[in-house]
Amino acid sequence: MHSPDLLVIGAGPAGLSAAVEAASAGLDTVVVDEGVTAGGQLVKQTHKFFGNEGFFASVRGFEIARSLLEELVDFENVEIFQESSVIGVYEDGIPVLHLPSDTTRLFRPKRVVVATGASEKFLQFENNDLPGVYGAGAVQTLMNQFGIMPGKNVLMIGSGNIGLIVSYQLVQAGVNVKAIVEIADRIGGYEVHADKVKRLGIPVLLKHTVTRALGVESVEGAEICEVDEKFSPIPSTARELVVDTVCIAVGLNPSVELIAQAGGQIRYVAELGGYVPVRDEDMRATAEGFFVAGDVSGIEEATTAMIEGRIAGLSVVRDLKGSTDENKVSRLKKELVGFRNGPISARVREGLQKLGFDVSSGESRTGNLNNPQKYRGKLRPIIECFEAIPCNPCETSCPTGAIVVGGNINDVPVIDYDKCNGCGICMTKCPGLAIFMLQELPDEDSALIGIPYEFIPLPSKGDQVHLLGRQGEMLAEGTVQRVFRSPHKTNSVYVKTPLELADKVRSIRPVLQEDNAFVCRCEELTVSDIEAAIDEGYTDFEELRRKLRISMGPCGGRTCRLNALRILSRKTGKSIEELSFGVLRPPSIPSTLGSIARQKGAEDD
Amino acid sequence: MTEKASVVVIGGGIVGTAIAYYLTIKGQRDVVVLEKNYLSSGSTGRCAGGIRQQWSEPSNVRLAMRSVRHFESFKKELGADIEYVQGGYLLLAFDEEEETLFRNNVEMQKKEGLEVSILSVDEVKKRFPYIVVDDVKSASFCPTDGHANPHLANFAYARAAKKNGAWIYTHTRALGIDVENGQITGVETDRGYIKTGVVVNAAGGFSRQVGLLAGVDIPTESYRHQIMVTEPLEHILDPMIISFSRNFYMRQTVSGNIMMGQGDEDEKPSFNHDPSWRFLTQMSKKMPGLFPFLEKVRVLRHWAGLYNMSPDAQPIIDKAEDVSDYYCAVGFSGHGFMLAPAVGEGLADWIIDGSPKEVDLSNLGLDRFTGEVKREKNVV
Repeated sequence: MHSPDLLVIGAGPAGLSAAVEAASAGLDTVVVDEGVTAGGQLVKQTHKFFGNEGFFASVRGFEIARSLLEELVDFENVEIFQESSVIGVYEDGIPVLHLPSDTTRLFRPKRVVVATGASEKFLQFENNDLPGVYGAGAVQTLMNQFGIMPGKNVLMIGSGNIGLIVSYQLVQAGVNVKAIVEIADRIGGYEVHADKVKRLGIPVLLKHTVTRALGVESVEGAEICEVDEKFSPIPSTARELVVDTVCIAVGLNPSVELIAQAGGQIRYVAELGGYVPVRDEDMRATAEGFFVAGDVSGIEEATTAMIEGRIAGLSVVRDLKGSTDENKVSRLKKELVGFRNGPISARVREGLQKLGFDVSSGESRTGNLNNPQKYRGKLRPIIECFEAIPCNPCETSCPTGAIVVGGNINDVPVIDYDKCNGCGICMTKCPGLAIFMLQELPDEDSALIGIPYEFIPLPSKGDQVHLLGRQGEMLAEGTVQRVFRSPHKTNSVYVKTPLELADKVRSIRPVLQEDNAFVCRCEELTVSDIEAAIDEGYTDFEELRRKLRISMGPCGGRTCRLNALRILSRKTGKSIEELSFGVLRPPSIPSTLGSIARQKGAEDD
Repeated sequence: MTEKASVVVIGGGIVGTAIAYYLTIKGQRDVVVLEKNYLSSGSTGRCAGGIRQQWSEPSNVRLAMRSVRHFESFKKELGADIEYVQGGYLLLAFDEEEETLFRNNVEMQKKEGLEVSILSVDEVKKRFPYIVVDDVKSASFCPTDGHANPHLANFAYARAAKKNGAWIYTHTRALGIDVENGQITGVETDRGYIKTGVVVNAAGGFSRQVGLLAGVDIPTESYRHQIMVTEPLEHILDPMIISFSRNFYMRQTVSGNIMMGQGDEDEKPSFNHDPSWRFLTQMSKKMPGLFPFLEKVRVLRHWAGLYNMSPDAQPIIDKAEDVSDYYCAVGFSGHGFMLAPAVGEGLADWIIDGSPKEVDLSNLGLDRFTGEVKREKNVV
């Protein structure tokens, strides 16, 4: 079956679900999957899932994989190839490498569902190339799939759901989890997951980060540090933990290589985990005949992956057979909206909105932006003072009488932008630091944001800073445009932000230096190597690549591309969205010449 | 962006930036290079980086020998390490026809002053033991041939030209060339207008299109050519090894990767530069037969670029007849990287002093295609 109706790439929750829908409508379906067994990340999940009963709530991950697979194997029109990795998407077909036999096989499917999932984000710290530094996915694969303990004493980096779940699983496997460090001031994952590890006595160290792995041949310890309000490590708080494993769980990147090779349009949407394919509600990507589903279309979880997979499968059926179970499609779409309706999906909703979807939300918090449309382009204060407290320096300091608190000092201020001259004095006077300055810039893509700043050293014009949101979350990197010192020490720092972040950026912090940390482990390139090249004028990712060979190693840029782009963004002041993310060249998996020469069932060439 | 320039070079590949470099060191001010994408984004950044003097046409031998002298002094002159290695070029002959061709070539090349010789099969076997020589009849070998990193050379020329005062505008596309009464008056770009009297077409794969912007008809066509590169290995290959009949070339980079490519006679003219599975399959079947160690080596990447072919597979370096001061350095037919230094030098002299002086470009004119075309034979 070399020209199947459908080729599904990836047998995770999304891919299997797509295959089930296609197969049950009678389509000849081939599923190729890198894993030893089908199920993707599900096979490593030993915890019970949330969701509703229609989608395996309360069932353990590996059991979900098993039931999906059982559904599939009943169909005679489905063929599943395990330990098989797509080499690339070419004009003349899609070759797949079968790893155990080191042979290849070429497919020319009518439709393709790309359900390639995600790869882990990488973190820069000193000695991050020492054996013993793992991604959480590798730890799960070793431990849960193959029964191999990754180490005896583990330091977990990141308290998102994956960090919390893997920590719990490590303890289940008899491994000592020394600590979970979390750079933010609150736990990233679900409370219930956090409570589980807390009950086991694992300390979750908030506002901490790892600064160094210790050891010569392999990890023998790790240095951790408290961070300040701006996430900078406080050197006096550094301490060492004796661990043999550092496990990194700081998030996922969608694996978009193949859909990009197919010619599908890719966009950077931070809320969805990085670069994601542009696609419609039917999961149709912009490359002809290609669909996407699951984490590759934006980082979420297994339930949404399964729903997206089914939608993709049904869409393929509609494409090839002229009709599909439309009731089921619209029911599935409704389910998706329902799942994404809660507060924890706020970021996903924001991300989907950027992709042009109309996403309803359970709640929305909008600031008092004083009718921004009418005064667009005018430099003006944004007053985010919503609580009635006795305070009025804004009113008394305003030289034009534009701000009125009124007779009752407990009232919140009201501003008349017609009277305001944009001087910004109120921002430096407000005791609550609740006033910011805003001006949409004439380029229509960016805005100037004034931020009250009470730290030293005071940044200077031209400095690169992280732009942070109301929760201290990092939003982007930007350049300081103006700095005004104020005699009462509340200085004003004006930064340029992308326009869509204008109502989010409320804080800055200086960019951290990680000079000797590796960005690209294949070619052994450090942050300072990359910065030096950028300073020499290599300001395009592709130029950097050609100059330094970054992303030219066996991993094809999976670990380094985004981090290199971040450095480029920080140094050039361009947002990642504005930068070209470069070319994703095949093969997506390094393949021997022998395996390519040994093609099974090749009909021509 | 500047509003006027003495010379506008269209194309930020090795040829365009070499011309800009030589213009600036010869004292030309206000030189502009326009690159529609980023530096090294076109054929230069996609080529294998071979530097060869063993050609079948004497003028190509001379031009290549002059380029090699420039590559030899590149590091000293431009202060940049471009991973230049003179490991030689080994041309394998597999049949009598090729042997005769190589013998005649070597005789002619020696007359031009090139150090080159015919190696017997035994000599090939002794010097390059990793080659299966069963079908090899003999070889032609020139020890001063070699290879370099095309990206680094491209960047070095651009940086040196910039340091000398040239403007290098990347992400800037030439949209039109204004000509009044046979005189160039300016170049329209997507970032503004530049007044100029002199334009150089160094647009590589897009040379024909950039010619038509000024109404100059250049008989070039672009063809996709593909290259693959393996994971890095310990250093084993000194020379670049090529065969015309077996249709391949191969070299090892300084970082250890083995780079190889071939031509495809079924390829039609196009701007397609997507890699194909067919290429990877053909190469994977062909190469381990001659180089068995490749069987277990993993391919890391492959890609495609454009050969800008002229009718005789030799470059077109000339001044247009109907449009004054419209120069072109195009149609390199896959060999622009290695010829760029000499072409840059000659064209800079031509622009500044009215003739290419010591660089012999006499056989590379636009008008040579009217009669019988004598094709360069040493082409993969």
